[in-house]
Amino acid sequence: MTKSVINRRTMLRGAAAVTIGLPFLEEMLLPHALAAESATVPVRAFNVFFGLGIPAPLQTEGFDGVLEPLKPLSNKLLIMRGVDQVRADQKGINAHYDGATAAFTAQPPDGEAKAGGASIDQVIRRSAYPNGLPPGMVPTLVGGTFFRRSRIGRYVHSYNPDGTVAGTMQESPRDLFERVFGSVDVNDDGKDARRTRLKRSVLDTVVDEYKFYQGSNSPLGSTSKARVAEHLERIREYEERAYAMKGNAPGAPGLPPESRLLHGGSADPGGEGIDITLDELSAEWRLMADLYALAIQTDRTRFGALTFLAAGERIRLKGDYEYAGRKVFEFDDAGQRKKSGSAACSHEWWHEFDEKKKNEQLRAHVHMKMREVAYFLNRLDDKDSLDANGKTILDNALITISTESGDGRHNDVKRELSGVFHAITGAGGRFKTGDILDVNAEGVDVYNTMLTAMGCTSHLGPNQREIKAIDAIRS
Amino acid sequence: MNSMCPQVSLAILLSVLASPPANGSQPPGSRNSDGLLVMYDFSEGSGQILHDRSGTGTPLDLTIENSPAVKWSEGHLNIASSASIISRKPAKKIIDAVKKSNAISIEVWLKPINDSLAGPARIVSVSADPSNRNVTLGQDTTAYDVRLRATGTDKNGLPSTASPNGSLNRKLQHVVFTRDPKGATRIYIDGKSVASGKVTGDFNNWDNNYRLALANEASKDRPWRGELHLIAVYSRALSAKHVQQNFAAGTQLQTPTSPAEALAKARAHVFETQIAPIFARHCIECHDSAVTKGGLDLSRKTAALAGGESGHVIAPGKASESLLWESVSSNEMPKNRAPLSDGEKAALKQWLESGANWSVERIDPAIYLHEGHSGEVWVQRLTVPEYIQTVQSAVDVDIAKEAMEILPRDLRTDGFSNTAYNLNIDLKHVEAYAKLAEIIVSRMDVLKFAARFSKSQKLSTDDTMRDHVASMGKWLFRGPLNQREINKFSGITTTVASAGGDFKEAMSYTIEAMLQSPRFVYRIESQRGDGTEHPVGEWELASRLSYIIWGAPPDESLLQAAQQGDLFDPEKFDSHVKRMLKDPRAIQQSERFAAEWLNLGRLANLRPNATRFPGWNAELAKDMQQETLAYFTEVVWTQDRPLANLLNAQLTFATPRLAKHYGLQPNDDEDVRYDLTSVPSRGGLLTQGSVLTIGGDEASMVSRGLFVLQDLLRGTINAPPPCVNTTPPPTKSGVTQRGIAEGRVADANCGVCHVRFEPLAYGLEKFDGVGAYHEKDEHGNALRDDGEVLVPGEAKPVAYNSSRELMDFLANNKRVQESLTWKLTQFALGRPLLAKDASSVAEIHASAQKQGGTYPALIHAIVTSNLVLQSRTEPDQK
Repeated sequence: MTKSVINRRTMLRGAAAVTIGLPFLEEMLLPHALAAESATVPVRAFNVFFGLGIPAPLQTEGFDGVLEPLKPLSNKLLIMRGVDQVRADQKGINAHYDGATAAFTAQPPDGEAKAGGASIDQVIRRSAYPNGLPPGMVPTLVGGTFFRRSRIGRYVHSYNPDGTVAGTMQESPRDLFERVFGSVDVNDDGKDARRTRLKRSVLDTVVDEYKFYQGSNSPLGSTSKARVAEHLERIREYEERAYAMKGNAPGAPGLPPESRLLHGGSADPGGEGIDITLDELSAEWRLMADLYALAIQTDRTRFGALTFLAAGERIRLKGDYEYAGRKVFEFDDAGQRKKSGSAACSHEWWHEFDEKKKNEQLRAHVHMKMREVAYFLNRLDDKDSLDANGKTILDNALITISTESGDGRHNDVKRELSGVFHAITGAGGRFKTGDILDVNAEGVDVYNTMLTAMGCTSHLGPNQREIKAIDAIRS
Repeated sequence: MNSMCPQVSLAILLSVLASPPANGSQPPGSRNSDGLLVMYDFSEGSGQILHDRSGTGTPLDLTIENSPAVKWSEGHLNIASSASIISRKPAKKIIDAVKKSNAISIEVWLKPINDSLAGPARIVSVSADPSNRNVTLGQDTTAYDVRLRATGTDKNGLPSTASPNGSLNRKLQHVVFTRDPKGATRIYIDGKSVASGKVTGDFNNWDNNYRLALANEASKDRPWRGELHLIAVYSRALSAKHVQQNFAAGTQLQTPTSPAEALAKARAHVFETQIAPIFARHCIECHDSAVTKGGLDLSRKTAALAGGESGHVIAPGKASESLLWESVSSNEMPKNRAPLSDGEKAALKQWLESGANWSVERIDPAIYLHEGHSGEVWVQRLTVPEYIQTVQSAVDVDIAKEAMEILPRDLRTDGFSNTAYNLNIDLKHVEAYAKLAEIIVSRMDVLKFAARFSKSQKLSTDDTMRDHVASMGKWLFRGPLNQREINKFSGITTTVASAGGDFKEAMSYTIEAMLQSPRFVYRIESQRGDGTEHPVGEWELASRLSYIIWGAPPDESLLQAAQQGDLFDPEKFDSHVKRMLKDPRAIQQSERFAAEWLNLGRLANLRPNATRFPGWNAELAKDMQQETLAYFTEVVWTQDRPLANLLNAQLTFATPRLAKHYGLQPNDDEDVRYDLTSVPSRGGLLTQGSVLTIGGDEASMVSRGLFVLQDLLRGTINAPPPCVNTTPPPTKSGVTQRGIAEGRVADANCGVCHVRFEPLAYGLEKFDGVGAYHEKDEHGNALRDDGEVLVPGEAKPVAYNSSRELMDFLANNKRVQESLTWKLTQFALGRPLLAKDASSVAEIHASAQKQGGTYPALIHAIVTSNLVLQSRTEPDQK
C-alpha cells in the first residue's frame, strides 16, 4: 500500500495540459494509525451527480446512445433504469431542486438549504465508522464544477441525517486542493476548514471587487485605479500570508493554478446563465476530478460527493465535441437557440425534449456529461487506484451516480421524477455489475437495499415505511 | 494635468467656460438646465452642423448628412423628407450620464408635418436600427411614443410610454419625456402632464456605441418630418415645475456667447492656467508689489505692462522684442533660482506672440501652489474618522477604539490628513479592514439588521436573497448595487448555505465582505468622461454632502432624496443642507476641521524642555486642545459668528490648570468659560497655547510668522536658498527674538522673504514657547508686541501697536477671511485647491460672506458650488 501511495506522488495531469505535482506531505502518506487497517480495503462511498438528467426514453438505447462513454466501464457498473423519485416532489415548480435533493437521499428537501435526510454515503459512513474516521482524514469531501447556485440541493450531494450538509462545498480545484492537502487542522471534524473556506469566499469576493475597480470597466480614472491596484496588491500579500500552505515540505509544488472560470456569485447571475466553452468546462472539471480521485487514492477521504454541473444548470456551451476520434457535435447553445440569457441555455433542450424528435442538442449534452463522469470513474480504476485486495477503488468502493430527472419537462411530475438514471459500482462484489437493469422501483427502496448490502442498519425514508428490498441489484 | 497643457482644445475650453450656472442659480424666466447633457437650438441658420449648445462636456455636434432633405428657417430646421442628422461619434456623454443617474429627460419643441407619421417616426433617438436602441422619442400618428431601454424592457425599449391618441397636433408643441431613478415615466405636452408609466430596472444594458440621431433612425428607415425648434436631453427627470419653466421660456435660448467673447474667454483661460502660474513660480518672489526689484511688479496687470527701471518688459505680439522673453530665454532670470523649463518657456513665448492677454488684475501665487499629482482625480479612501463614523451610521457599532488602534493613521499633507492623494493603502490597512469587519459583525445583531431590508430569512438566492443583498448593499454602499455586484455578494450566501450555514451566518459573511469592499472603504465616484467636468450623479452628490457636512455617510432621508432625484431640485437640496447643518454631526465635523487646520493633534506629541518649562505636562497639552475646540464651537455654533471672529473673540475656555498657566485668575472647576474683554494679552486663536506652541521652545518667530502667513493670509514663500544657515542664534541679554528677527528682515539676502512673515509674529513675542505670557524674557529683556503686517499682494505693510490690534486686524482682513474659505473648501473637498478652482472659491466666498461669513454659510456655499456639484472626469484611454 505504501509503495502504491508513493507512486501516486508522481505527477497529476489535468485535461487542459495543466500539470500539477503532488505536494510532498508526510500526512499524505498513510498515517501510522492506519497501518493496521491498511491491510484491508476501507469502506468508502461517494455520490456522483450530474445535472439535468437523462430522459427515460434515451436510457433505453443502452450504450448505443448517450450512455456510450460509460461502455468501457460497463462491466464495473450496474445501470439502473426506472428509478422513481416522485415522493420528492414538493408544491410548486421546483422539479430541478426536488429531484436533485432526492438524488442519494430519496427524500423531498426540507426547506431552502436542507435535504430531507441523510445521503447514502453518510449513512454508510456512520455505520462503518461509528467512532469516527481515523484521524487526519477529511471526514466528508464535497466538491463540484457547477454554475447554478440558488438552493444548495442543486449541487451539494452529501447530507447528514438531519439534512444539513455533510461537508463544505469546494467549488474550485484550488479550494478542494486546500481542503485535502492544506494545513488546516482536520481533526475538528472540518469546522476549522469550513471557516477557512467561508473566509476565503469573503476574501475572494472582496478581491473580485477590487479587481473590477482596477479593470477596464472601472468607473475610476487612471490615478484612482492605480490606488485600487495598490490596494489589491496588498490584499494579495495578505492573502498569501493568511492562507499560506504551511504544511508543504520544502521544495514541494504549490497550489493548482487559479481557476479561470467564474465562481461564487458571478457563476450564477440570477439564473441568467453564463457563456462557457467546452474546453474551459472540461479542463476545470477534470482537474477537480483528478484532485478528488487523488484524495481517495491517498486515503485522505472515504466519503463525499462530487458534482458535474448543477441541477437546472444554465450554461451556454460552445465548442466542438469529439469522442473516440469522431466529432459528435458542435455545441453552440446561444446560436442554436437564437435567444439570449436563460432562454439560450442548454437546460431549454431538456424542457423541449420530445421523444419523437431527434433531440440532437440534448443528446450531445448528455453524451458529453457521461464522458466527463466516465473520466472521474476511470481515475479510480487506474494503476494508482489499486487497493490491498488487488482491485481498484472503483471495484471496491460504492459509487452512486445519479441526477435530477427522468425527463426535464415541468408539466408532468410523474414523468419528470420517474425513470431517473442511476448507476452504481459493485462495492466489493456486493452489487451486480455489467448489466442494465429496469428496476422500476422507488429510489428509497433502491437506496435502502444498497444500504443493507453495505451492512447498515439505519435506513432512509419515513421510519414506518416498510422496506422493499430490490434484490435484483444485489449480486 | 490637461489644463496645464498648451494644446488644450479650444472647443473644450469654450465649453468649460460656457458651463451653465450651478444648481438653482438661474435668473427667473430662464430655462432650467440642471443636468443638461446636449442641446440644439437650430440657431445656425445654415450649414450642415448642428452645434451642441449645452456647455456640458465635449460638444456632441450633429451632422446633416443629406442637406437637400432639410431647409433652414429662422430658429428652426424644416425637415421636408427623409433626413439623416446624426452624431459622428457615439453619444457617450448622454449614455454615461444617464447610466450614472438612472434618470433621463428629453425635451423637444417641434411641429410635426402631419398626424399620420408612424413607425414610430423617430424624432430623437439614441439607437442603432429599428430593433435596437437606448432611447427614442417618436411620433406614432397622433401620439408621442417613447421607447426607453432598461434592464426591465427589451432591447427595443418595449414596452414604451405613449401620450394619449390625439395629443399630438400640427401646431408648435413642447414635448418632454421624463424618467426618474425609481422608474416612473411621464410625458408632458405644453407644460402639462398627459401620460405616465413605468420603466423598471436600470440602464446598465445601454449600448455604449449608439449615436444620437434626429428625425430618423440611425439606419435611416424610420424618417420623421416637420420642424425642429429645440432639442435637449438631461441626466435627470425634470420636475413638473421645471418642465413648466422651460415651456414658459419658449424656444429661444438666452443670448449666446459671441465668437469674439468666447475667444477672449479662451485666452483668459490660457493666461490664468498657464502663464500666471509661471509668473507665480518664478518671478513674483522678487517682482511683486512689496518687493519691486528693478522697479518691476509682475504681480499686477497695470504695473507689469508699465514695466520697470529698464522700461517695458512685455511687447504684446512680439516675443522677440520683449525684455521679459530675452531675460528668461537666456536664463538670466530668475536670478539665483532654477531657470524656466522648456515647456514653460514655450508657453510664455506663445502667450507673448498671441498678444500677451493679461486677464486678471493681480496674480495671487497662493492659488498656484498645488500642482503636479495633487491635481489628478484621486479616489477618496475613508479617513480613520470617516471609517468610524461610517461604521457607526451603517451598522450602529462603535468601532472607534479598535479602529484607532488597528488602522494606520492618515498622514497630514497639504495641511490636512484627508488629502485624497495621500490616503494610501498599506498591508496594515488590509489586515485591519479584515479584522475590523470581523469584530463589527460579531457585535451586530445581524438578524435585526438584515430585517431592516427584508422580512425574509430565506436562504433561497433566486426567491429572496438577491433582493435582500441588493437592498442591504444599497445601504452599506451608499447607493444601489448593479447586477454584477448583486451576483457577487449573493454568491457568498450560497457558499455559506452549501457549507451548511444558516441565514444569519450567510448575512454575517456577506456584511463582512461588504465592509471590506471598495464601495465601503472608498468613496467611489464615476471619474470617466471626456476630460471635462460633468454634473455628479445623485448618489455621489448625497455622499459628497454627507461626508462634507458630517464626515459620515448619507442617512436614510438623504439616500431617499437621491433615489427620488430630489437633490437636483434646488429647494429640496437646500432643505437637506439646512437639516444636516442642524445635526450634531455637523458640529463634530467642524471640530475635525479645526483640529486639522490648526494641527491640534501635534499637542499630544509635544515634549518641551522640562527644565525650562517645568509646568508642562500632558494634561496641560490636552487642556489646550480642549480650549481651542470649545472656543471654536462657542464662536462658530453657539454664537453663530463669522468664522474670522475666531481671530479676536474675547473669550476662552480653560481648566483651572490652564487658566493658571495663562496667568488668569482660575474659576472653579465647573466654570471653564472666561471673558477676556478686560484681558488685553489674550483673546483669539493666536493667543491660545494650541497655536502658540507652533513656535517650539524658542517661540520661533519664523515658525509662528509662517503659520500666520501661510495658514491665515495664504501667503507663499519659497524655501531658503541652499547653503543658508537656518539655525537661529540664541537670545541673550540685550538680544531678543525680535531683535534677531529684525536682523534677518534687514539682511539683503534674507529680507526679501523674511519681511513677509517675521513681522507677523512680532505681536506674539510676549508669549513663550508654551504659551505663557511675559513682559520680559529669561534674560530680563523687555518684550514688545507692536509690529506690522504685510498682507500678501499689498505693497505697503500696516502697522499695529499691540497684540490685540494685530488680532483685530487679522479678524477684519479680507485676505484672512478668504483664506478661511480656502481652508474649509480644501478640507471639504479632500484635496488641495488648484488655480482652476479659484473662481469657484471666489464665488463661494462672496456667497458665504453675503450670508454672514459663518461656518454654516460657508458650508452651504461650498456644497452648492460647482466644486461639489460637478466632478472632474478623465477621458477614456483607447
